[in-house]
Amino acid sequence: MSELLQFLIAGLKNGCIYALVALGFTVVFAATRAINFAQGEFFMLGGMLGVAFWQLGLPLPLAAVAAVAATAAIGALFELLAVRPIKDGDPLRIIIVTIGGAVLLRQLTLHFLGPDERPLDAFSAGASFKVWGAAIERQTVWIWAVTVVSVAVLAILYRRTAFGKAMRATAIRRDAARLVGVNVSLMVTASFAIAAGLGAVAGITVTPLTQTVFSVGAGMGVKGFAAAVLGGLGDPVGAVCGGLLLGLLEALVAGYIDPVYKDAVAMVVLLLVLFVRPQGILGGSGREKL
Amino acid sequence: MTSSRTWRYAAPFVIAVIVAILPLVVTDRFLLKVFTFAGVNALVVVGLSLLFGYAGQVSLGHAAFVGIGAYAAAYCTVQLHWPWILGFVAAGAVSALGGLVLAVPSLRLKGYYLAVATLGFGELMALSFKEAEPVTGGVDGFTGIPYPALGPFELRTASSLYWLVWGIVGVALLIAWNTSSLRPGRAMRALHGSELGAQASGVDVVGVKVRTFVMSAVIAGLAGALYAGVVGFVSPSVFTLSASVTFMAMAVIGGTGSLAGPLLAAVLLTLLQYFDALIPGIPRSTSQALQEYREDIYALAIILVVIFAPRGLGGLWRRRDRGGGEEVRQ
Repeated sequence: MSELLQFLIAGLKNGCIYALVALGFTVVFAATRAINFAQGEFFMLGGMLGVAFWQLGLPLPLAAVAAVAATAAIGALFELLAVRPIKDGDPLRIIIVTIGGAVLLRQLTLHFLGPDERPLDAFSAGASFKVWGAAIERQTVWIWAVTVVSVAVLAILYRRTAFGKAMRATAIRRDAARLVGVNVSLMVTASFAIAAGLGAVAGITVTPLTQTVFSVGAGMGVKGFAAAVLGGLGDPVGAVCGGLLLGLLEALVAGYIDPVYKDAVAMVVLLLVLFVRPQGILGGSGREKL
Repeated sequence: MTSSRTWRYAAPFVIAVIVAILPLVVTDRFLLKVFTFAGVNALVVVGLSLLFGYAGQVSLGHAAFVGIGAYAAAYCTVQLHWPWILGFVAAGAVSALGGLVLAVPSLRLKGYYLAVATLGFGELMALSFKEAEPVTGGVDGFTGIPYPALGPFELRTASSLYWLVWGIVGVALLIAWNTSSLRPGRAMRALHGSELGAQASGVDVVGVKVRTFVMSAVIAGLAGALYAGVVGFVSPSVFTLSASVTFMAMAVIGGTGSLAGPLLAAVLLTLLQYFDALIPGIPRSTSQALQEYREDIYALAIILVVIFAPRGLGGLWRRRDRGGGEEVRQ
């Protein structure tokens, strides 16, 4: 019983991280209909920049906030420099540009911050909590809290503010949004900044448990995307559910079958969902289906 | 105008002859090996550019197919003691199977699911090459892979390997050119223009995409088998995401709707890796910097090409052609 509980705790911990990355995919997909291959690199940047700021002497909370802000700025800058010049907005061209951008971000991180794995202190020191024989690390609680706050902030932003309504209008129909006075290209830039920020939040909060290195982006990108597809690409609620579900599945496979297969779970889930239910577990009619 | 048209028809033959007689001129064995690698890369890129340039899809997992082909050929020849040609065929067959498993679920859907599916597949295979030790030899990989042999003739000299690889590149080009200029190619181009329009005109959209992807996977697998034969060993460190991105860079920079462009890009970008061997006098620091920043250069090149010259090298070539045509009309 306590064993199962321990697996579930681990699953929900990783699931939150996947959910945040998946949300990043969803936000950019909604605005551009393109898959942002740099999403995993934003996750990497959050962790790497956070550790770098912290090692420069910034207090940990400040370093974390600075890393998220810097990554969001990099996301916006990337959109302005590489995505906006694509005048026809062809998703295929945006995808290829984000592939180039992903490699460039990874390589620049390698050149500036080096190839070493970097550790980070936990957000708060202290022993793990004990619940019914299972241990919950303090950082895990931080991950849960940070995810809940991020999702809540995003929900309020999207549902309650004029800016959020403009974002949603752009996602539903670009030309119509433009006709009613929405600055569509600003919304696309904002979507990249938000996606980058979400990735960075995930990256910085998980680093105390896993360490980080310049090359972690691609693997996390695949998992985040699998989570987004599992929940139905383009659906923010689905992205969060998909992330949590993927995390739980991975934890159960690693716990009861073999940890070697843990990294294969996301891939199998991705292909199975595409095969059986492309609109995702929460999707209705399957709009993107042929 | 006539002379330029003659040149256009003659060019493939002239280039083929130049490629064919190169080993007679270049005697340096290392240099010849570099050109052989360029041929292996060119083979992968020919398949990939069918997928990208004609069917409008992206793959970030082609290094995995090269790996599958290389390991299949290595396993068949080293462990099962099969003749080389059977290993070569097996490499193609196994890659076809892998391609089919990936393509059918992800290409049934509109959009670009294939790109991510191939990315995940590539990571998964990179992991398997390392972990499935009984089949792949683990981190150490396979050594002592025999030279390619056709019946009793073993191709062990640098120039014969070069001819083998480029001969197969030639065959692949012919097949690719045929598919792209005949009915399947028209279907692919229609697809690239407007999927809905193509479907309305009776093109089996999903079928064309799946067949194109499987074909490019098979070509990559065969390239892998050649690679294993040329190098003599395979190790998992070669078939990585960065290799897949390099192949994609070659196809993107080479351009859409063209085979000459990607071919040229594959050769040029391969030579870039061996810059110091081509230009002997080059300072060591320069060649080291080139090596260190190679991926940055590729990535930047992809971005610049997509923004400023979306049709790639092949497009630049044709734009000049079209310009000439307009002059004549005036």
